[in-house]
Amino acid sequence: MKEFKPLPDQPAPNDTVGPIHWVKDNFFSSAANTIATLLILALLATVIPPLVDWLLISANWSGTTQDACTKDGACWVFVIAWSKQFFYGSYPTEELWRINLCVLMLIGVIASSQLLNKDWRNKFSIPAFLLLPFVCILILDGSWIGLEYVSTDYWGGFALNVLLAAASIIVAFPLSFVWALGRRSEMPFIKSVSILLIEFFRGVPVLALFFMGSVMLPLFFPEGTNVDKLVRVWIVLTLFMAGYMAEVFRGGFQAVPTGQYEAADSLGLSYWQKTLLIILPQVIKVSMPNILATFVMLFKNTTFLLIIGIFEVLSTTQTALTNSNWLGGHSTEGYLFVAIVFWICCYSMSRISASIERKLDTSHKN
Amino acid sequence: MSVEQEKTNENNDDIIVIKDLNKWYGEFHVLKDINLRVKKGEKIVICGPSGSGKSTMTRCINRLEEFQRGSLTVNGVEMIEDVKNIEAIRREVGMVFQHFNLFPHLTILENLTLGPIWVQKKPKKEAEATAMKYLERVKIPDQANKFPGQLSGGQQQRVAIARSLCMNPEIMLFDEPTSALDPEMIKEVLDVMIELANEGMTMLCVTHEMGFAKKVADRVIFMDAGEIVEQNTPEEIFNNPQTDRLQLFLSQILDH
Ligand SMILES: Nc1ncnc2c1ncn2[C@@H]1O[C@H](COP(=O)(O)OP(=O)(O)OP(=O)(O)O)[C@@H](O)[C@H]1O
Ligand SMILES: [Mg+2]
Repeated sequence: MKEFKPLPDQPAPNDTVGPIHWVKDNFFSSAANTIATLLILALLATVIPPLVDWLLISANWSGTTQDACTKDGACWVFVIAWSKQFFYGSYPTEELWRINLCVLMLIGVIASSQLLNKDWRNKFSIPAFLLLPFVCILILDGSWIGLEYVSTDYWGGFALNVLLAAASIIVAFPLSFVWALGRRSEMPFIKSVSILLIEFFRGVPVLALFFMGSVMLPLFFPEGTNVDKLVRVWIVLTLFMAGYMAEVFRGGFQAVPTGQYEAADSLGLSYWQKTLLIILPQVIKVSMPNILATFVMLFKNTTFLLIIGIFEVLSTTQTALTNSNWLGGHSTEGYLFVAIVFWICCYSMSRISASIERKLDTSHKN
Repeated sequence: MSVEQEKTNENNDDIIVIKDLNKWYGEFHVLKDINLRVKKGEKIVICGPSGSGKSTMTRCINRLEEFQRGSLTVNGVEMIEDVKNIEAIRREVGMVFQHFNLFPHLTILENLTLGPIWVQKKPKKEAEATAMKYLERVKIPDQANKFPGQLSGGQQQRVAIARSLCMNPEIMLFDEPTSALDPEMIKEVLDVMIELANEGMTMLCVTHEMGFAKKVADRVIFMDAGEIVEQNTPEEIFNNPQTDRLQLFLSQILDH
């Protein structure tokens, strides 16, 4: 019998690998491609130098009043002078450590979800993440835990955007899952109520919801109770988010094969055991990118709250811009700053969620 | 089987009793007057052409499918709407699927301990010890901490068998357990099933593996168009088919 000998591997031909080939392949592969590349390079050459000049080189960095802004570039003095307001709102200065503590805890929980193994992530990071907004509310309010009471009138700035978004998504999460389950239910009543809720909160513009929240929600509360404005906003954001997330979950449910339900049934698991232990984790896994997209949308939509007089970061910026000491036209700097802060947050979230997705991915062969 | 014969069987230890079972999908009559009795420890192979209702009948036994008429009793418990009865029956019946249906987000060990921990309320340690015992029996204890996606098809199917066995069932149902597998993996799964048969497990197996049927089956059931057309020992079924339908079926599957 003849012995089978595999052929040896040979190196790839020289003209298909290497950086020069890559550039040629991606930027100059055809006449049209070459023209496009050159045009874009020319455009970048005209835009970038003046931009860098304004942003950094001739920008004003030091000083405390707008008189310090003598150079042509951006007046970052404005942003620096107001940065405390932008981040913390008008929260009392001597209590700012509370907000910092909350931020540190948030960073700690996120870090733990990246560093711990699966077992500890389930045991620590996830419960901690779910509890964190409520713990933060207790700390910021203070009166429940023996600290000095700080009324929500003083809560504001970017910290408030983050807090509202986080507190909303965490309540919206279980709520939307139940709505999505309801939408799949075979019981006509439950099904139609779920569809109604989902479609209402998805179909009405968030601004209209905010107005309804400030005007109509109080009608549902018992007479005489004065429900905090932020609580009303929280409820509205939660319901809005839940409408979107329920649809995200619906897509996720469709991605779970029926075999998973059958396997769970044949093991004798109850409906809720099957749903929570088998289906939910798989639904979350496939829905991660869309959950994140929805959350980013909600997070950015918190800036609409300026319209109903909540002092989140955008309305703080407007206050600063109309301050009589800063009437020098710093709106570009102000809005750019808000944009950059949001962008940094959203971009980090998408990095974190990509890494969570990789961790959840158990389909790989290793 | 004649009526007299059925009567005389009534008093012995039949673990599954199916009487005049009928099932429709909408207007479509899938199962027609199915009568079947299975003794404890009996091994039954179900065969028949595609669409004949083999899967549907098997899945009625643990209520993955409902039926509209007739009765079904498993281990003395009658299959009725009541969740209690359904759960009681599912505790006694294990099932192995064509596409394994392991839980992809759980490790192999977690796949095996999930049922014992949540359904039988066993302590985790005990469930894990049992799981390891069964993983050794299906010869893959070294894979315990991997995820299903990292295993070959044959290994996954053996895990699926072990997962059912961890629940300590009285009856095992198999629905074409080897038809999604590459030829070289079929044997490793069949070997596990043969071993299980030799230990006295009651088994109902939908399969086209005729070698397996000849080796372990006490009885082969041939279905067509929603009916049980013939049932007999493997020798009789293969060497002495009574109907032209079975003869045709056998000639088709033995031809290739
Ligand atoms: N959910 C369903 N709705 C409507 N018809 C169905 C459904 N499931 C199965 N059927 C039909 O019922 C018949 C029996 O199906 P079943 O899956 O039991 O066949 P089978 O004998 O297992 O076939 P195969 O060898 O292909 O697995 C088929 O004609 C099939 O098309
Ligand atoms: Mg089938």
